[in-house]
Amino acid sequence: MSEIIRAAALLGAGLCMGMGALGPGLGEGFTAGKACEAISRSPENAGLITRTMLVGQAVSESTGIYSLVIALLLIFAV
Amino acid sequence: MNLVDFISIASYLGAALAVGISSVGAGIGEGFIAANATRALMRQPKASDSLLRTMLIGQAITETGAIFSLVVAMLLLFGGMRDSNGGWQMVASLFAAGLVMGVGCVGTGLGIGYTGGQACKGIGRQPREAKLLTANMLIGQALSETSAVFALVVSILLLYSTSAGNSIAKSFAFLGAALSMGLGTFGPGLGIGVVAGKAIEAISKFPKQSPLLTRTMFVGAAVAESTSIYSLVVAFLLIFVS
Repeated sequence: MSEIIRAAALLGAGLCMGMGALGPGLGEGFTAGKACEAISRSPENAGLITRTMLVGQAVSESTGIYSLVIALLLIFAV
Repeated sequence: MNLVDFISIASYLGAALAVGISSVGAGIGEGFIAANATRALMRQPKASDSLLRTMLIGQAITETGAIFSLVVAMLLLFGGMRDSNGGWQMVASLFAAGLVMGVGCVGTGLGIGYTGGQACKGIGRQPREAKLLTANMLIGQALSETSAVFALVVSILLLYSTSAGNSIAKSFAFLGAALSMGLGTFGPGLGIGVVAGKAIEAISKFPKQSPLLTRTMFVGAAVAESTSIYSLVVAFLLIFVS
């Protein structure tokens, strides 16, 4: 029985990281795309736009890091 | 049915999934490039040479993911992977190798196609900047392609993993590795494609800003890539450590 539980935890780790990478990757890409659009319109604000882009991407990244933490917990702690 | 039959079933199913699923992304992406090239041709018939060249280069790069999948499918069918000594772990690893390659190429195919389409659209807008736009398209597509290469690495590792054992946990770890890397490429591949496409669109509108825009594209793509690298790390841990 314990091996089936372990099997489920390992499959869950894979699903968790795989689906967890989907949202942040798409969202961060969308952010950077819009930042490029904004810089092309007002290049003098490039520094400000890049800073805002990185802050937004960092927030978007957080769910990816949660997935990584849960996946590592499922692999090593369960 | 004995275990050898299940190993055959797993490798046939894996080969079918690899080619079938990966074709979705490549097909849509290449169609998007061709559609944008035709629309650009309508606006700028004189730029037909550079448009045809950029369209074909872009489509060739979109195709790479599907070609990786074809190679993995051929290996699964004719590569002598079906070892009669294999256990249930081999059933899982062969199926997982096909699954990761198939799912792993959908997002990158769509992303690379979006980038190529925007490049063709940009040439329709600024035919004089065709070289600059094609160069930026190639950089953006290469960045997006990395996720598909990660999926190929995991697929090859799964194909050649020594899997004589019968452990249920290890079998599910292989499936988990495939799901982690396969689904994990979807977001970054598509996201980086959007970054590169938008950057190319902006360059075609304001070609003077191209160094600044290429730099921003690199920073944005690097951040979007990070989740794909997390997926790769988790897949490695599942294959080697668990």
